[in-house]
Amino acid sequence: MASKSSRALIEIEAEKSSRSPELLLNLYTILVKCRMCDEKARILFRQGKYKGNFYSGVGQEATEVGTAYSLRKDDWIAPSHRDWTANIIKGAPLKFCFAQLFAKVTSPDRGRSSPAHMGYPELHVITPASSIAAQLNIGTGVALGIKKLHQDSVVVAYCGDGATSFGGFHEALNFAGVHKLPILYVVQNNLWAESVPLRLQTALKDLSDRAKAYGFPGIPLDGNDILAVYDAAQTAIARARSGQGPTLLECKTYRWYGHSEIDPAKYRMKEEVETWKKRDPIVLFEKQLIEKKLLTDAKKAEIAAAIVKEIDEAVEFAEQSPYPEASELTDHIWG
Amino acid sequence: MAHTINMLQAINEALSQEMERDERVFILGEDIGLSGGVFKVTDGLLDKFGEDRVLDTPLAEGIIIAAAIGSSMMGLRPVPEIQFADFITPAVDQIIQQASKLRYRSAGGYSCPITIRICCGAGGGSGLYHSQENASWFVHEPGLKVVMPSTAYDAKGMLLAAIRDPNPVLFFEHKSLYRQAKGEVPEGDYTVPLGPAAIRREGRDLTILTYGLMTQLSLDVAEEMSKRGVDIEVVEIRTLAPIDKTAILNSVRKTSKVLIVHEDKRTMGFGAELAAIISEDAFEDLDGPIMRVTGPDVPPIPFSPNLDKAWQVNTEKILAGIEKLAAY
Repeated sequence: MASKSSRALIEIEAEKSSRSPELLLNLYTILVKCRMCDEKARILFRQGKYKGNFYSGVGQEATEVGTAYSLRKDDWIAPSHRDWTANIIKGAPLKFCFAQLFAKVTSPDRGRSSPAHMGYPELHVITPASSIAAQLNIGTGVALGIKKLHQDSVVVAYCGDGATSFGGFHEALNFAGVHKLPILYVVQNNLWAESVPLRLQTALKDLSDRAKAYGFPGIPLDGNDILAVYDAAQTAIARARSGQGPTLLECKTYRWYGHSEIDPAKYRMKEEVETWKKRDPIVLFEKQLIEKKLLTDAKKAEIAAAIVKEIDEAVEFAEQSPYPEASELTDHIWG
Repeated sequence: MAHTINMLQAINEALSQEMERDERVFILGEDIGLSGGVFKVTDGLLDKFGEDRVLDTPLAEGIIIAAAIGSSMMGLRPVPEIQFADFITPAVDQIIQQASKLRYRSAGGYSCPITIRICCGAGGGSGLYHSQENASWFVHEPGLKVVMPSTAYDAKGMLLAAIRDPNPVLFFEHKSLYRQAKGEVPEGDYTVPLGPAAIRREGRDLTILTYGLMTQLSLDVAEEMSKRGVDIEVVEIRTLAPIDKTAILNSVRKTSKVLIVHEDKRTMGFGAELAAIISEDAFEDLDGPIMRVTGPDVPPIPFSPNLDKAWQVNTEKILAGIEKLAAY
């Protein structure tokens, strides 16, 4: 076990110092894809193209991409309501992601779940519920199953700062700590749990401190630094895969928009929003790539154009797809 | 080959044999391993199967059930235990918001083949937090199977069926029946299907619909009434969800009078649902109102002996109900 993990960590250190241009551009591309898909989802909602609600993750892309990019197909993601883009990163075709928003029969759950509550069974993305922290619990259960079956998949479970107050957070992490389960808990601390600020949520400054109570590492990170998140996630995933147990990554970040599309977020100060927007994770990364001469304006435009095309085709597919028939209302209650 | 054992032994036997037969099966819960369970239901299983299959969990019902849900999604067949039904409430979020809905919200992409064993019911002065029989809470949730056997034979057969069922099953074990319910149980493998009710006693004049601890009490009352020339049919509803409407309606059409007997509290108890079903589907066949003998709408069950006794359904109360209905 020890030699397996040392090798994994050595490989990660080596990778850090010689990250390939291909990896960097891939990270950039998927960041941009998440941003553009998210913004498109917002626009479609405001145009009345679908009902319900949407929970935008714009501003938080590095926390999703950095932690999920290098997962294998057999690895699991336990998302919450703000992690619609986790499906995209895991490899779900865009057409099904947009079909999900529109609640068409072509969505992975045939229109049963709300727009942002997307799962994708073939890619091991667990269909979320609105219950806060529930995904941490179920993800912990999946990790227990992985360990029992002597497999080496890992689980990445996401939640926000609010979820760390929930009893279920405590129960899940405690259990995972006892059994050294192969799971990475990603806490996206965006300073607000809907309209409740962090100071009313917890006495802590760093939510990663909570990990000490469960006997595993908790690491506070600049969640808008894609490479910092990526590197920390690689280490945590290697730990998990080699049987050394869980890690809590606290990604400090910010959501640009309200809790949901119907929330104007008037409880936040304009100055705070503007300050964080200046730390756009994509713009920060672009600067690095331009310095490394990996990105030019032309390349940027090429990447964006390809994504626009992909999104347009996906939206077309979603719009053309039929809704589920009322006759299937009672399907899939029982097995 | 059969042997005479009690319900507790039958459950232990079912778990032991199924864990031998199917390596995907494992059990988890508080005090189930080193201690063998507070009632000794899981006694000997840790020695036989080891920590990998018999897991003593932290004191947290939510994660006990969630760990089961998640590992069942990996293809395992966990059988988590809730030590007392009174403590199921911390797990209700996982049971109702997750387990019951996982298949539906994913349109069959995910499923949740777990069997939750729950010790419930009145048990000799156990007080307000070791006496609750709350199976009816879960009947209200589509996607959950809810069963409560009353015999050792049914306990083993239905537990084996439950573990093999692809749906989440809540398997309620009445603490007073653990040792009281004794009978012939096949030593080998068999199942009792979840769903069908059991006609425990055939009769012509009146139907008692009942389940759990009340089954034997109802049979005792039926025996007494037969001496008075009233022939009572006792239908035991072993599976509360999904309800065996056919058996219930067949019996109602046969006797035309129905008395529902359950230990659990009256309002919104299981009897209310049965009464609604019978009224809708067999109104023309009734010769009298659908009546219920149930626990009172009082927190179950206050500790002091006189209060405990006053709370519980007993043969006198059932008899009074029968006499009233028979006379209608």
